[in-house]
Amino acid sequence: MLKCREVVHQADALLAGELSRRERFVLQMHLIICRHCRRYIRQFEWLLRAIPRMHGSASEAEISSVLKAVENAEKSTFK
Amino acid sequence: MTSELSTLRALQSGDPTAFSELVREHHRALLATASAIVGIDNAEECLQNAWIKAHQALPQFEGKSSLRTWLTRIVINESRMLLRKTRREVPLELDESQHPLADRFREGGHWSKPPATWHDESPDGLLMERELADCLSRVLTAMPAQQRAMLELRDVSGLDFDEICNELAVTASNARVLLHRARTQLFRLVDHYQETGEC
Repeated sequence: MLKCREVVHQADALLAGELSRRERFVLQMHLIICRHCRRYIRQFEWLLRAIPRMHGSASEAEISSVLKAVENAEKSTFK
Repeated sequence: MTSELSTLRALQSGDPTAFSELVREHHRALLATASAIVGIDNAEECLQNAWIKAHQALPQFEGKSSLRTWLTRIVINESRMLLRKTRREVPLELDESQHPLADRFREGGHWSKPPATWHDESPDGLLMERELADCLSRVLTAMPAQQRAMLELRDVSGLDFDEICNELAVTASNARVLLHRARTQLFRLVDHYQETGEC
């Protein structure tokens, strides 16, 4: 019988579709009877979808600084 | 036409607004990637050079990968050059930390403190709350360098495992452990925040 701790360890592979059919079956049997692990998997998946956006957008000052650096580099190239 | 393709067309035609939007969307994530490789003190310089190179190389970009992935590769190259120039080694400290959720289980392996029910109905904005931002930044800064680099390269920038293993000189199994540890640290942070409103 799969333990909850093992579900946490296998969550990445489950969501990446990297478990074998047998491993996935065993894990899904556990999820049927364990609401805590169902919640863990659901919320872990939310987290993985949120991570790519976690750093947010650049400020106007950061954008200006990059544009200025690019412009200066262009000027020195064409000198 | 997909939005990424239309963005690329606009960038390649020299549209300055499109380039500003490119910087707006990717700068912070690329800064985090550079920080994970060369450290926060050198990351700004490295990223500035990377943006200059990216601007010059845009006309030749064929769109075979996403813009984020392409930009990340440029940042990695600039990071490597900077490390060579300063004769620094890529930080390779061993990750001997305990599993981030180790204390949440009983000896038998079942939950002693199961995850809280998160209030957000969807992942949008889950990590964007202002109160969480400082805590998130502290957790990322304190993360072992390889763990953080794995998270940034795989989950933020979308590089594939083979490429990351090559860049970080880690085996595929170690890469998966590093990524799992990094993700579960973030899970623990968000879980605590969702339960208590604090972090």
